[in-house]
Amino acid sequence: MSAGPERIYSAPREWVHVHSVSPLLGGWAAFAAVVGLWFYNGPGNSTPGEPRQWHISLMWFAIGGVVAAALAIGLGYLSWWFHTYRITDQAVEQRKGMLLRQQRQARLDRLQAVDVVQPLLGRVFGFAKITIEVAGGSKSAIQLQFLRLHDAEALRNEILALAAGFRAEVAAAREGTVALRTDEGGLRSEAEAFRLAPAPGSARTSIAAAEERPLVAVPMSRLLMSILLSWGTVFGIGMMLAFVMGSVIVGLVVPEVDIVGAIFGGGFVGILTAGAGVLSSTMATLNRGLNFRLGISRDGVRIAHGLLETTRQTVPPGRVQALHFSQSLLWRSRDWWQVVINVAGYQDNQQGVSTLMPVGTTPEALTALWSVLPDLGDTDGPGTVARALAGTGAEGGFTPSPASARWVDPWQWRRRGVRATETALLIRSGRLVRQLTVLPHERTQSLALRQGPVQRVLGLATVEVHSTKGVVKPVAHHLAVADAITLINEQAARARQRRSVQTPEQWMVKVGIAEAPDERE
Amino acid sequence: MTRVPTNRVSQGWHTSRMTWFAPDSVAWTAASHRLIPARLISLGVFLVPPMVAAAVFAVLFSPAWWWVVLGFALIAAWAAWITVRVVLAHAWAERDDDLLVKRGRLWRSVTVVPYGRMQYVEVTAGPLARAFGIATIQLHTASPGTDASLSGVPADDAARLRDRLTSRGEAQLAGL
Repeated sequence: MSAGPERIYSAPREWVHVHSVSPLLGGWAAFAAVVGLWFYNGPGNSTPGEPRQWHISLMWFAIGGVVAAALAIGLGYLSWWFHTYRITDQAVEQRKGMLLRQQRQARLDRLQAVDVVQPLLGRVFGFAKITIEVAGGSKSAIQLQFLRLHDAEALRNEILALAAGFRAEVAAAREGTVALRTDEGGLRSEAEAFRLAPAPGSARTSIAAAEERPLVAVPMSRLLMSILLSWGTVFGIGMMLAFVMGSVIVGLVVPEVDIVGAIFGGGFVGILTAGAGVLSSTMATLNRGLNFRLGISRDGVRIAHGLLETTRQTVPPGRVQALHFSQSLLWRSRDWWQVVINVAGYQDNQQGVSTLMPVGTTPEALTALWSVLPDLGDTDGPGTVARALAGTGAEGGFTPSPASARWVDPWQWRRRGVRATETALLIRSGRLVRQLTVLPHERTQSLALRQGPVQRVLGLATVEVHSTKGVVKPVAHHLAVADAITLINEQAARARQRRSVQTPEQWMVKVGIAEAPDERE
Repeated sequence: MTRVPTNRVSQGWHTSRMTWFAPDSVAWTAASHRLIPARLISLGVFLVPPMVAAAVFAVLFSPAWWWVVLGFALIAAWAAWITVRVVLAHAWAERDDDLLVKRGRLWRSVTVVPYGRMQYVEVTAGPLARAFGIATIQLHTASPGTDASLSGVPADDAARLRDRLTSRGEAQLAGL
């Protein structure tokens, strides 16, 4: 990176390559090691019976590794050469592939989210990969890895500005005549917060990131406490106790076994067994929640998290398809909630990108809700949600499951209920783990009414609301048949009505801030 | 949500009123009856060979094998009865804004798919279905949960229905 007095980064309008360092940041090292090992085990041991000739073997290992690395890097550069991208007013375009050329287009009017991800190595050297999620098929996302961090940010800012409808302003800003948004150190502060090495000189992007208002930050202590108070931990401790008890019983019944040793041994085995199971889920939770910050800007919701690998997601307004609040019994005394969301386009790694709030108090969870769904269509939004989170039966205007539901759902039936506001559907459930699903009407894909034989006898039916692929699956179980039928009819009408007034494209044009673009294009 | 009090009162066990989704003035199109033989044949492919094998064993080795044959025959009869009932229960209706798909008897469901939510419509017909002149139309929305497929659509109607659904979808298409 050249250190100038001020460098202005712009997203490319002409085809350009991703950064030339990208093939080096790939997985060639692992590949080289594997091939080296194979060489080492293969030719080095070609004469069985003979003693292993270590110096020759090691030489083979080195040669194999170097050749494989050279090959991998060579191939990497070849595909790098064919991997180009550019941005137009309508879309981000990507070309790649040597033999099988493919051109991919991410239409900005179908934009769902833009993520900037920095792996550890990328953070050290100032590189990032950018993922542009659009609505449509499973292969519709564009991933560019790697770009210089500032290039990635310039691209992201321009994508979001264009998608919001600031077309004329973007053109002006690119020519440097007008600053679209005043860059009050926005880029620097945002970038510096996640960088390990400070950037030389000063830099800015031609279009600055929209000003962000931080809403919620999750402190490390709370995150660690929340993990400690998770079912995984309880399960682990239970497992350990079970092993200790088992050992004690064995120690008492079988006289040959030393009882103290048995207790220690059992405890140890228990810790190991439970630990292995709990560790992976804990690591995933940690990575999702560490350094977690939620903010809001004109570009939409900003979610940043990660300790070694950092992810900064921007989800434009109206792209959140569904929200799900959950609170386990262990979190209840602390009033903590977890909030996850569905965003269309996020196909794989759902868990990693779907967290809107790893652990937060009720007011914070409400803040998270308002950030993606500002208008609940209810005069007393906070009260409604609070009653939905904790209430039972018909409390808070909910339509509860009838008493006959106790036969199929003895535990949760009092908590089950649905309620529609002007803009969203609330589905309440869960007793040990309290749950609430919030789904904006216009985000309803389709609906289903289901009934099994037992439900039929009890006069119950289940209503499913189909959301886009994701972790949130809104289902209202065991409603009275009449209520279920009313719900499905009304919900179809509400979804239709809300769809006709709600379109998330070019959100700034809709509210009259940006100018309407030329529709000839 | 507005409740219908009369229904609430009579909402006991085994009531006949408002027990299932039956909107007024909706013209349901039932699946073609040609779907029944098509389904029965694919069912027979699985059940007939072991039955024949058991019958051969009964003739060659021991008459006790006839019990196995009888068992298979009972299973086949039961499965065939279920198949017929399921096909007879399958129907769909085109409303102004959405498509209704009804299926199942014991486990029954009604799916409501708004035309504006359809991403694409797929028509498939395997060799067996083609022999019987029927096709399957699958509706895809942005949700993997939408299980809206119409089985046993007469082949002549399938293309027309697909075009009709597609054009309605385009007319009402809304952003995600």
